[in-house]
Amino acid sequence: MIIRARFTKRNYLKYLSHLDLIRLFQRSFTAIKLPIKYSQGFNPHPKFSIAAPLSLGIESECEYMDIEITEYVKVDDFLESINKVLPDDIQITNALCLEKETSISAILTWAFYEIKFELNSKEEPKSLSSRIDEWLGSSEIILTRLKKKGKKKVATDINILPLIGNVIVKGCDENNYIVINTLLKTGQNGNIKPVQLMEAMSRDLDLNLDLDSLLIKRLALYAEEGKNIYSPL
Amino acid sequence: MINKLKLDKILMKVEKPARYIGMEKNSYKKDLNKVSVKIAFSFPDVYEVGMSHLGLQIIYNLINNEENYACERVFAPWVDMEEEMRKEGLPLYTLESKEEVKNFDLLAFTLQYEMSYTNILNILNLSHIPFKSKDRDDKYPILIAGGPCAYNPEPLAEIFDLFVIGEGEEIILELLKLYEEVKKGSLSKESFLLEATKISGVYVPKFYDVSYNEDGTIKEMYRLIDSVPNTVIKRYIKDLNSMYTPDKLLVPYIDTVHDRIALELFRGCTRGCRFCQAGIIYRPIREKSIDNLMEIVEMLINNTGYDTVSLMSLSSCDYSQLLLLTKELMEKYEDRNIALSLPSLRLDSFSIEVLKEIEKVKKSGLTFAPEAGSQRLRDVINKGVTEDDIVNAVTYAFKEGWSRVKLYFMIGLPTETDEDVMGIKDIAYLVKDIFFNRPNEEIKGNFKVTASASCFVPKPFTPFQWYGQDTINEFMRKISMVRNSIKDRKVVFNYHDADLSYIEAIFARGDRRLSELLIKAWEKGCKFDGWSEFFKYDLWLEALEESHVDGEFYANRYRELDEVFPWDFIDSGVSKEFLIREYKKAIHGKTTDDCRNGCRACGITNCSMRGVYN
Repeated sequence: MIIRARFTKRNYLKYLSHLDLIRLFQRSFTAIKLPIKYSQGFNPHPKFSIAAPLSLGIESECEYMDIEITEYVKVDDFLESINKVLPDDIQITNALCLEKETSISAILTWAFYEIKFELNSKEEPKSLSSRIDEWLGSSEIILTRLKKKGKKKVATDINILPLIGNVIVKGCDENNYIVINTLLKTGQNGNIKPVQLMEAMSRDLDLNLDLDSLLIKRLALYAEEGKNIYSPL
Repeated sequence: MINKLKLDKILMKVEKPARYIGMEKNSYKKDLNKVSVKIAFSFPDVYEVGMSHLGLQIIYNLINNEENYACERVFAPWVDMEEEMRKEGLPLYTLESKEEVKNFDLLAFTLQYEMSYTNILNILNLSHIPFKSKDRDDKYPILIAGGPCAYNPEPLAEIFDLFVIGEGEEIILELLKLYEEVKKGSLSKESFLLEATKISGVYVPKFYDVSYNEDGTIKEMYRLIDSVPNTVIKRYIKDLNSMYTPDKLLVPYIDTVHDRIALELFRGCTRGCRFCQAGIIYRPIREKSIDNLMEIVEMLINNTGYDTVSLMSLSSCDYSQLLLLTKELMEKYEDRNIALSLPSLRLDSFSIEVLKEIEKVKKSGLTFAPEAGSQRLRDVINKGVTEDDIVNAVTYAFKEGWSRVKLYFMIGLPTETDEDVMGIKDIAYLVKDIFFNRPNEEIKGNFKVTASASCFVPKPFTPFQWYGQDTINEFMRKISMVRNSIKDRKVVFNYHDADLSYIEAIFARGDRRLSELLIKAWEKGCKFDGWSEFFKYDLWLEALEESHVDGEFYANRYRELDEVFPWDFIDSGVSKEFLIREYKKAIHGKTTDDCRNGCRACGITNCSMRGVYN
């Protein structure tokens, strides 16, 4: 049996690494005495997995994890107790107790992001929007990625265009940052990080962006069936 | 409050940004405008090290438990963070409110090791606070310091306004209460310092001066104001069971050095190892009751979610009811997958009994500290461990499945001969032989024995405070002797930096003439000296020369028994006569038995353990 849970990762807690996050949940489950399943072996550890781990520095409104449990748990009680021990910026917003399912990591294929950035030029959102549309209309967008092959790192060129679902310019925020939304492929069958999208965009559209200063937030994660994408919870 | 957009930009560029965000479980976030006194508390090292310190957890909770006071944390930013902060012009801030350190009423440092002193200066500099007490007017925080190194506060006398001698949790609330008077306007900062000297355990260096003999030793330390005490008596908690004990701990998000519950069993130690400062300054021995501990641990587990409880003390195996305690803990928490760990193992049969009880301890490696290579030298330092103890302990450990052993030694102990030093190699080889001289079918695992040697630093308030440290050359000669004699891949010999121990020795027994040296070293770029990759001996040598400090005078010189020490004005409770007696016995290789087996008249009054058998 599993609990499938959706949670947030906001504000400064975007600086927690994936490993820090796992430890946080581990301690929180211990604190509320959740009947979690432990792995067999000499050094038993609690069994749960977080899907599509975020890179350091990205906020999220919508993360998923599966927690293996040994007995049925009332979801409302679970939510109430776990959210008391979790920090305000990491809260479980929805959960379901399910019989064994395909793992959450295996079904998620799309991620939806909000990205904010500062433009050096005084370009209007409208003009940027049309330039982006034109860019996405090209036949391919090549990005060089470093991949580990054994101990060596090998540069490979890939076409990222099929990994981009859409890019929508929303406008400007109060700090005069450009705000965009974008749907990007995630998971084992193709995966692109928002920073990689921005790296390619900055290069091809001459935006001259400081990639360390992007403010990125994941808004949703989706599974897909045929041509439809849907939220797993 | 600092500029948070700038902070965000910086945090994206540095390693482990979660070091700098605070917001951990059980951290406090008070409105600084609504409290009467705000104090910034600093462990002058990187976050992971500082957050592993139990004293910080106690002080932090003790102060924040008071509605009117706020205590916020600040650590030494790692070098990458420091670089970005300087580049962006971002001042050092506290983790809780992201408020500039400079805007606090008080800034307190815990002095855990001498090699963190340059980090203190770096923290002050990043906070835009002048180093010297006399250069800070009323708009700066009052600088206070405590912890074990405060037992010789003199090298920092020009920097700090006030020192707290003894256990800080016993004094700090009294100090804050007095400071409230400053805030109310009924007291100036200047008169606050004077009033504070009336609190027992408080030392304000600027009310004293020192005269010197021609040979550079101290002639006299004298008061500049009659109302301050001649002797500062250390403060300590009389009853550990009724003391304030936090029911929760700050739980860091990132992996720290001790990522677990630290359960303090007792304070003090009755063993009487002669090199050990903690064994003297934390006297008398004071234990917590099992009932008290069981109650605390239940709250700590529920409030932190940690799955490991570490039984902390100077020598945890000496807790008088250790077996009973471990049994109770195991019974109660085994089902919840909570493990126990015992950090300071002794090499005797009793410890092994306890180890058997705690089957959950990971069997990766086992650490023992014989400290010296020969029986003769172990008698000199009064480390009551025999070769039989070592043989029994490792034989048992191997039988139970351990295959890696770490052994800790010191080099440069008083009366040490080359033969004693070579004993380090002999013990390491003995351990190896015990492992392999067993029936083949019993030999399992990848055997390794690691012998680590540190260079002995004589500390104040120990029987060895008169002893001259070995020179760096002598250390290196002894080290290479051992290193060259070990020709077995399964025996690893590690050693600490002799250069670093030399600088440490200078500050350990230094006087107030060393403030200039410290500032000079910082100016040259010394920081994180405790981290060997950052320790820059050549810069320290330059600093010594330019500040005209003779390092050998402080580190290598043998003191006469009647020499006036910079720390003589502090009363640790243990008499100088006792220390002299122990020093003389040491030179003659005579041991002193554990004081639970009979009082050794160390000078401590009201010792509850007098004559209590283990």
